[in-house]
Amino acid sequence: MAITFKEVEYTYSPDTPFAYHALKGINLNIPKGSFTALIGHTGSGKSTLIQHINGLLIPTQGEVCIDDYIITPNNKQKLKPLRKKAGLVFQFPEYQLFEETIEKDIIFGPMNFGVDEETAKKIAREMLVKVGLDESYLERSPFELSGGQKRRVAIAGILAMEPDILVLDEPTAGLDPQGTKEMMHLFKDFQQTGKSVIMVTHDMNQVLEYCDHAIVMNHGKIEKNCSVTELFNETEYLESLSIDLPIITSFIHQLNQQGFNLPVSIRSVDELIEAIGGELHE
Amino acid sequence: MNDIVFGQYLPGHSIIHRLDPRLKIASLLLLLIAVFFDAGFIGYGLIGLFVLLALLLSRIPFKRVLKSMKPMIFMVLFLTIFNLFFVRIGHVVYRLGPVPIYSGAIRQTEYIVVRLVLIICLTTMLTSTTKPLDMTLGLERLMKPLRKVGFPVHEVAMMISIALRFIPTLMEETQRIMKAQASRGVDFNEGTFKEKIAAIVSLIIPLFISAFQRAEDLANAMESRNYNPSAKRTRFHQLHWHYYDTIAITLVLCLFFGIWGLSFIL
Repeated sequence: MAITFKEVEYTYSPDTPFAYHALKGINLNIPKGSFTALIGHTGSGKSTLIQHINGLLIPTQGEVCIDDYIITPNNKQKLKPLRKKAGLVFQFPEYQLFEETIEKDIIFGPMNFGVDEETAKKIAREMLVKVGLDESYLERSPFELSGGQKRRVAIAGILAMEPDILVLDEPTAGLDPQGTKEMMHLFKDFQQTGKSVIMVTHDMNQVLEYCDHAIVMNHGKIEKNCSVTELFNETEYLESLSIDLPIITSFIHQLNQQGFNLPVSIRSVDELIEAIGGELHE
Repeated sequence: MNDIVFGQYLPGHSIIHRLDPRLKIASLLLLLIAVFFDAGFIGYGLIGLFVLLALLLSRIPFKRVLKSMKPMIFMVLFLTIFNLFFVRIGHVVYRLGPVPIYSGAIRQTEYIVVRLVLIICLTTMLTSTTKPLDMTLGLERLMKPLRKVGFPVHEVAMMISIALRFIPTLMEETQRIMKAQASRGVDFNEGTFKEKIAAIVSLIIPLFISAFQRAEDLANAMESRNYNPSAKRTRFHQLHWHYYDTIAITLVLCLFFGIWGLSFIL
């Protein structure tokens, strides 16, 4: 399920006084099975970019290839199969809930894509457990849940479509630290079944801990497309964008300035402790 | 979704944009009444000329005015057909198969179409050249005398301005929810009747929920700032009457009474 963008341009409301050139010559290749972070300031074109992945937006120029699906400006093919392939979780997805029961809401997506009710219900049960709620929730109304629980149900609704690519727009915004951790582990598990995850985020600690690839956008263009380790090596560049380094990386940099010689590729506290211990032994 | 032109403000600096909103609202009312005087085609010609002149002055692109008429095409068509077939005044001019078409019917149909077009032009001109906030301010000012009879002028003006303020927000919200549901396999354009209903339900319910949520948030925000509708308040934004407003209102009044006079003569 590789994703390729070739010279993609996108303009909102073209030929009007409100025209806005949001994407400028985007070239991109996201390999199958990767966990990619999409970083950039508000208005840099991240949301516009991810909406091209499931065909909600059609490029005004260039082409987007999702596997064997090729989308060009005068697209005529049906987009529904693509929407099943690429599950898109919008920011604050809890607002998309509408059914009377949680079960009905989760099976809504799969059933739209032609899954029969029995199978859909089975998947719904599975996904609900995966997002950390138990089966007793199935018959409850989604509107009596707390914000965080609603978010879980909404994400279960997308996972139940069994997509090959999961696209997330700030999935953990507004969640408590525990909830955030659980969600991120869920996405990591999803990726480890061989599927791709693309996540818009502002949290560099998450990028360091869970992602292996990073794309930095600025003013509608891609400025960096590299591995996470490479990205956090470019301290000056990140500073110019006023992006803070992850706590771990920044700590390593500080230690190294004081004479340590730790690798910047360290991604977790445990690894860090081990490395420091090793250095001290020597 | 972005095709809704009717009622949208189009920023600009033309003389029509700068006119006092009170004047513009009052003029709209007067001219709307004038449109319904039976002053023959001379009368409509005069109003039409006036509208054309104002349109040119306001520098609203004609394309936009035409676009704002699009939703009305169906209504005009409907009225035209009804009038042509069912009005039986005057003499038969033409036979469309078994249906006779009368001269009076044609005349009436022409009247209706001309009236509708003029009304749409006039209202579009008001809404595209007046900022929503100015409009409410103007309305509030014009309704002020009604306060004497216990009409809640300020509350109504506040309601209108909140409603206007939230139109773009709700439109954005609608688009957002449509996209979210489209990502879950909802097809808003195609499908059977049943599927279409399901698609609309999946849009309407979240939209209502978020609208109520917004209303509650706004109410709380207003209350926590101690909003009291009956409190005496001053305004930062004041309306100023300029000499060109006087000229404009004189012109409108001349036109109004002219048309009125014409309707007696004819």
